[in-house]
Amino acid sequence: MAKLETIVREFEVENKYGIHARPAALLVKIAGKFSCDILIGKKGYEVSAKSIMGLLTIEGHQGAKLHVHAVGADAEEAMAEIAELFANKFFEE
Amino acid sequence: MAITLKDLLDAGAERLSLELVWGEEYLDRQIEEKAINRPGLALTGFFQYFAHRRLQVFGLAEFTYLKSLEAKEREVSLRALMEKNVPGIIIARNRNPLPELRALAEEYKIPLLRTTMITSHLINESTVLIEELTAPRGRIAGTMLDIMGIGVLLQGRAGIGKSETALSLIERGYSLVSDDVTEVVKNSRGRVMASANNLTRYHMEIRGVGIIHVPSLFGMGAIRRETELDIVIDFHPYVNDADEDRTGIFPAEIDVLGVKFPYYMLPVSPGRDMANLVETTALNHKLKMLGHDAAKELDEKVIGSFLRKSGR
Repeated sequence: MAKLETIVREFEVENKYGIHARPAALLVKIAGKFSCDILIGKKGYEVSAKSIMGLLTIEGHQGAKLHVHAVGADAEEAMAEIAELFANKFFEE
Repeated sequence: MAITLKDLLDAGAERLSLELVWGEEYLDRQIEEKAINRPGLALTGFFQYFAHRRLQVFGLAEFTYLKSLEAKEREVSLRALMEKNVPGIIIARNRNPLPELRALAEEYKIPLLRTTMITSHLINESTVLIEELTAPRGRIAGTMLDIMGIGVLLQGRAGIGKSETALSLIERGYSLVSDDVTEVVKNSRGRVMASANNLTRYHMEIRGVGIIHVPSLFGMGAIRRETELDIVIDFHPYVNDADEDRTGIFPAEIDVLGVKFPYYMLPVSPGRDMANLVETTALNHKLKMLGHDAAKELDEKVIGSFLRKSGR
């Protein structure tokens, strides 16, 4: 059985409109490519990064700090792609 | 869960017509005991069993008593109460605070609130409100539906078809409560009530279609704001040796906010109509609640027949 990797990182939302529908869809698309479980949210409240409706409830406004947990064989690759997304402000202003 | 005066003021501005008279800076004071106290006896100087951790309400009786006192006695009486460091004071019937009350509240940094309600209504309403504010709550992954009065939570990993199944059930006339993220609150009767996140309420995301607004497409009958949770159904990929209950005699249980609920595991595979299976599971649960357990009844019939044939 593949080793179960757990990676935790914190990101700050930098784009003006936060994680609205388009960024949420981008995140879901990336998360969906990987088999690992990815949770995202704030302290005490996390949702699956594979659910658009879930992502819209975590209140990821500009300046919000979000934890991302990735658990599974391909957690490292998944986290790298998610980090890129945050770093590029979801390709928005 | 403890609440502060600010929580109460925010939630009660409309429902209790509460307004702040004094003490904006001290609204972070906690209401340690979730009840309301009328401090009549305490005002007379009797402090045994005085519920000083509760909010104190000054109504007609308290005001009339205080007014019957000389100014000096009134100050002594109120000071003794304030010294107990009560969390806050609510004045009923929209009265103006007595000058001594206001001055002492400021001295002891105890916020003063006021309402237009009469005391008895205020006590009833605020007890319910405080109960709601302090109720255990959480958010869980899953789509919530109301199927003929049975609250069903659909769980399962992303992409397994929860929202699609919910859509089929809505088409059959049942109601959506929330999609993918469900908020749960345990009420004072120990029941778990499920509702949607305020921001995304009544919206769903269907793969390939996108985000839809359910009442706009299917009408007001297709939604419900809140429903009581009755059963949890978990969708999982079909595997031959899955640990599922094939008879329905020994249903598994799942814990939500400390309450146990029947937990049905439904395998998903091509050709299995999940909406139909969820509907059947819900209706069968309702039948069980009415005292008819089909699985047990059949088993008893089988055992009875065997016992007759065994000849002992």
